[in-house]
Amino acid sequence: MSEYRVEMKVNGRRVAEAVEARTSLGDFLRLKLGYTGVHMGCEHGVCGACTIMVDGRAVRSCLMLAVQAEGSEVLTVEGLADAQDALHPAQDAMRKAHGLQCGFCTPGVVMTLASLCADRRCDEQSMVAAMSGHICRCTGYQGIRRAITMLAAEVGSAGSDT
Amino acid sequence: MKPAPFDYVRPASIDEACTILSEAGGGATVIAGGQTLVPLLNLRMSQPFVLVDIGAIPELRGVDRVVGGIRVGPMTRQADALEDQLLAQHLPAFVRALSHVGHHQTRNRGTIGGSVALGEPAAEMPATAVALGAEIEIASIRGTRRVPAEAFYLGPYMTVLEPDELVTGIIYPDWPQGHLVVFQELAQRPGDFALVGMVGALVIEGGLIQRVGLSWFGMGPTPMKMRRVEAELQGKAPDALDLKSLSRLAVSDAAPFDDHHASAEYRRTVGGRMFTRSIGDALALGEVA
Amino acid sequence: MSEQTLIPSAGSGAARWIGKRVERKEDARLLTGRGQYTDDVVLPGMLHVAFARSTIAHGRITRVETSVAAELPGVHAIYTARELAAQPITMMSFFFTPSEVPITPLAGELVQYVGDPVVMVIAETRAIAEDAVSLIEIDYEELSPVVTIADAMAAAPIHPGTETNVASEIGDEEPEEDLAQALQGAHCLLTQEVVHQRISQAPMENRAILATREGPEELTLYITCQSPHNIARWVSLALGLPQTAIRVIAKDVGGSFGLKNTPWKEECAVICAAMLFGRPLKWTEDRYEALTASNQCREAQMRLSAALDANGRLVASHAVYDCNNGAYPQGADNNIAVHMFLWAAYKMPAYAFLSRGWYTNTNGLAAYRGPWAMESLIRETLLDKAARRLGIDPVEIRRRNLVYLKDQPAVSCMGIPVDDITPGECLEKLVAHFDFAAFRKEQAQAREQSRYLGVGIAAYIEPTGSAGSMVTMTGELAQVRIEPTGRVTAMMSTHSQGHGTATTMAQCIADRLGVAYDDVTVFEGDSSRGGFGPGAAGSRQGVIGGGAAIRASEMLADKVRVLAAHLFNASPESVSIEDGIVHIAGAPEMSRPLGEIANIAYAEPDRLPPGFEAGLEAQFRYQPPPMTLTSAAHLCVVEVDTDTGFVKILRWISSEDCGTVINPGVVEGQISGGLAQAIGMVLLEEMPYDARGNPTAATFKDYLLPAISDVPVFEFIHANTPSKTIGGMRGVGEGGAIIGPPTLVNAIADALSPFGEIEKLVLPLTPARILDIVEQRDVSGFGASHSEMATAPVADAVQEPEAPPPMPENSQEQSAAEARSIDGDWNMVLKTPMGPQPMVVTFATDGAGGVSGMFSSAEGSQAFDGGRLDAGRVRFDLKVEKPMKITLKYDLLIEGDIVSGKCKMGMFGSAKVTGQRA
Repeated sequence: MSEYRVEMKVNGRRVAEAVEARTSLGDFLRLKLGYTGVHMGCEHGVCGACTIMVDGRAVRSCLMLAVQAEGSEVLTVEGLADAQDALHPAQDAMRKAHGLQCGFCTPGVVMTLASLCADRRCDEQSMVAAMSGHICRCTGYQGIRRAITMLAAEVGSAGSDT
Repeated sequence: MKPAPFDYVRPASIDEACTILSEAGGGATVIAGGQTLVPLLNLRMSQPFVLVDIGAIPELRGVDRVVGGIRVGPMTRQADALEDQLLAQHLPAFVRALSHVGHHQTRNRGTIGGSVALGEPAAEMPATAVALGAEIEIASIRGTRRVPAEAFYLGPYMTVLEPDELVTGIIYPDWPQGHLVVFQELAQRPGDFALVGMVGALVIEGGLIQRVGLSWFGMGPTPMKMRRVEAELQGKAPDALDLKSLSRLAVSDAAPFDDHHASAEYRRTVGGRMFTRSIGDALALGEVA
Repeated sequence: MSEQTLIPSAGSGAARWIGKRVERKEDARLLTGRGQYTDDVVLPGMLHVAFARSTIAHGRITRVETSVAAELPGVHAIYTARELAAQPITMMSFFFTPSEVPITPLAGELVQYVGDPVVMVIAETRAIAEDAVSLIEIDYEELSPVVTIADAMAAAPIHPGTETNVASEIGDEEPEEDLAQALQGAHCLLTQEVVHQRISQAPMENRAILATREGPEELTLYITCQSPHNIARWVSLALGLPQTAIRVIAKDVGGSFGLKNTPWKEECAVICAAMLFGRPLKWTEDRYEALTASNQCREAQMRLSAALDANGRLVASHAVYDCNNGAYPQGADNNIAVHMFLWAAYKMPAYAFLSRGWYTNTNGLAAYRGPWAMESLIRETLLDKAARRLGIDPVEIRRRNLVYLKDQPAVSCMGIPVDDITPGECLEKLVAHFDFAAFRKEQAQAREQSRYLGVGIAAYIEPTGSAGSMVTMTGELAQVRIEPTGRVTAMMSTHSQGHGTATTMAQCIADRLGVAYDDVTVFEGDSSRGGFGPGAAGSRQGVIGGGAAIRASEMLADKVRVLAAHLFNASPESVSIEDGIVHIAGAPEMSRPLGEIANIAYAEPDRLPPGFEAGLEAQFRYQPPPMTLTSAAHLCVVEVDTDTGFVKILRWISSEDCGTVINPGVVEGQISGGLAQAIGMVLLEEMPYDARGNPTAATFKDYLLPAISDVPVFEFIHANTPSKTIGGMRGVGEGGAIIGPPTLVNAIADALSPFGEIEKLVLPLTPARILDIVEQRDVSGFGASHSEMATAPVADAVQEPEAPPPMPENSQEQSAAEARSIDGDWNMVLKTPMGPQPMVVTFATDGAGGVSGMFSSAEGSQAFDGGRLDAGRVRFDLKVEKPMKITLKYDLLIEGDIVSGKCKMGMFGSAKVTGQRA
């Protein structure tokens, strides 16, 4: 079986590893690097639990091969907040809004929200639209909606400062 | 759900890619954005010996003005195409359709070429290419050819693409400024494939329909071009149209099937109404480019 | 939104934590990727498992070829049923009764469903294990598949050694004469039919297990489950190992909803293989396996008849219910709870039923949030139909029939004591929040513009907090400790699969102890910690775990008071604990941090009062009333697009009585999650099988789970009245999934009423099926293939004992020769709703047709007399006290050494008895 050497930056840290071509980026992050916050929920790109950021964009880590991430900057939920025990605004809003129950879909939800927060043009409506790319079986999305409302207000007010 | 083993190559040029595809003798599969291919790999429904990643070929990326149209590189990410000014200005129907493809997260990786080349009959982009009269530019070591989108699709996930061939561009012909956009889709949830959908464009000049391109999606084994309706509309005054009888004609241009999500009869019934609604809306609202 | 607090606090003036919408303890960890789900756990030497599964629904295995796969580098072992049999395992139901038909983790001779695991591969990585699986060849002699309930009724039994495909049966097919007359003679007789589709529980975390045998009698299991304690107990019984040898760890679980009640075939295969192979083995189910090979739920059909008088008052009712058990259900099930709760909240004078579960060549039946939910769906949709038929308002018809508080105590037609329910009161509060008159006006105006709005309401009650009436359902234990540092820790027998019990239990403890919520940490999720408890199953943890936490904290607070009073020469009554500070009334200078008192309690025995047990620890096992009832009424408003059949939910209001609310955020979260699942069941989800028994929704592209766009914002009215449990809580985990479907269906039916009734409710109501109703023709194509609900031929419906099974020649001779005495011991099995109950029955005849005797089972012995024997037919009554007072009427036919017949169990109807001479 062919192994390939890949280099990328994961959560700000340089990583160089040998990997089989068939290994998904999600499995690579979980199994090789120990970022078990990347959750594999369906491995066919529908549920969204494995969503991470690659070069600043929210993508499905189950639909990307590790070899395809060569040279990329990868961010997982573990690397989202500035410091240990701190929360990114998306994480904080989810916590305040009771946006999660079992927590399995949550890292993906948070990564999508965080990627959208970085886009000043993003409003509540587009955040809800992007959330249709995540399946949550526990919450009925009530808390996620509330978190989005909180975040959109923050993004909006941050935008109006400039 | 782990793929069978395969080799992986990332050619830097179209020539290199074509050579690899040729040498693989049918054992190679091209990966662009991978948003549909990777699930098939994970389910072992696709088991290539070698995966050819075209992500590092610069000339396959981007949207360019060409003589008589717009050329979209197959590696252009859907998310980038959604933001593209040329497309927004010249091909609003394309952008409308694209906004319904998958989800925000899959559009960040998914490509125009991947969607067009795959040929899912209920997907938006193949039907858009058919409706707008696009041509698919194809390369292999045997040379290049251009195939009209209408002739490109043979059946569900089946196209005229040979195993050694690579889609290198999709060329959408110019539609004049001010043309009307037709787009409607019924899907059970956002991002799902359509139960029924239609897409296209109309040009009205001098009070008459001068040009029209319409296609169904989710209404047959391939995108279904509404040939008879197009012929019927050509040269007609919009206010003289009998949309009811046209809708029956439109449905007869389709070949819907029963599946897990809806019956053929449902698709026919709702398709007719969708036609009436969307053509009516397009003419009344005059949503223009 | 009201956030009432219903019980007084321990420390006067202390901060109240029960009733607060505090942030969850779990969230900071889960939001930053620090959860620990089963697949996250890695052990040294761990290997991975994949299964070769049956590709056909029913067949005999003729050849299994694994030699090529075994040679693949990275493959460590391959097991078939034969090798795995070296570690025997008895697979059992949730009630710990052995399966009625033999189940082995791997299929040996017969495969009984597509996905039935046949061969197990152990390899270095999951990918290699899957490579090996693809090299395994299995040949079958195919047998005709039995897929649907209708198939099962007509086909030969799928399980060798059984007489029919009836997995479980209870009740009487024909209503007795009185009931039949009441039904036929009534002013209005209505029938509602529901065909409920098969559902996949689909927790976001699939099943997973990591099993490691630590020594000859130590087994550690990391398994995604609903209760580590219950899994330990189940596995211990299944393997025949002493329970102390088994440790089960499930720190975080990604949802379950009933699926993960007990380990099933794959998990058992991994456990057995880990016992045999000696290295840690991990199997993580992928989504394809989860959708096609995991247990599933809900597939059932029911026909309910109800008679009403001219005033819309219920008179009598009869129902026939059939459900698909699949090949290997987690307990053969006729779902008797459907009938127990069907009319429990309504003044229904008379009811009878027949209820059956059927074996088919499909995935086994497992629980799903409110497994008996059919009762609310069929009753509430029938009531709306009745309201339309009789021209009565839907609210009014419920007012006339619901059991209000003023009507209580009452006893339901099924003998259930009803004395603490408020569905009517919930309905009144709901109605007060919605302007029906304005809506009807808006609806009429909209119809003029061909827009179809509808409003639906539904009311129900639900049994929660079950304990004491079933072997599985024990109480829950709280162990609370004030550490010498002042920090409060608790070990709870509760377990969260998203329930947030670490939060709600900490709130109970903080509230009753008088400390800050932040100062309490709750540990759970490990069977080696804390006392035994069955965890999440039947909306019980808030009720029972909460009660245990409250009482243990109160006991501990009392202990602090005694010690502080002694230390400061005060009376215990003058001591209060507020926010972690111990105060003496009137002596503020004596206030001390709890940690200081705790230090003394642990480390300075000389300063303790006489007889005071050192340390500050308390434990309490709460044994609540056998069940606590929750009530609710819901309302939703929809708009149906009659051109496309699409349904848009515009508004949804929940008015529920779940007793004391520990945390409104958690309560609303539970209801919302259930409602989203309800929306999925009504509009989107379906696990279909083709005629060959292939499950055809193998991915989330085809199995449609509700997305954010499908679920509206829910509004809540907390119409709470405290229950009679410690703390006053009522369970709230399942309600949304029970009350949601009829609420939504009623709204859709109201919207579509100008077009006609939904004559037969077939779920899901896809856009195509909505158009069937709008256009009164077969748009969906369903009508053509399923014109009639499956019904069993009478002879199959109830196996009457009149036709005894054929017996060998000589035994016939023997019986003729002896015409003989039935005296002596008989091994019999009574098929109860909770599984088969084995027993030994000793008969003693008096020679004059009189029979007396003795029943012995694991639960004890009981004598009976006054029975009669007549031409081989034995009839007698047995009065039992457990699980409830009931007279069992046995009617048995004895043919030689074989006994068969039935036992009429009061309002539960009849259950089968089989057996032979011991």
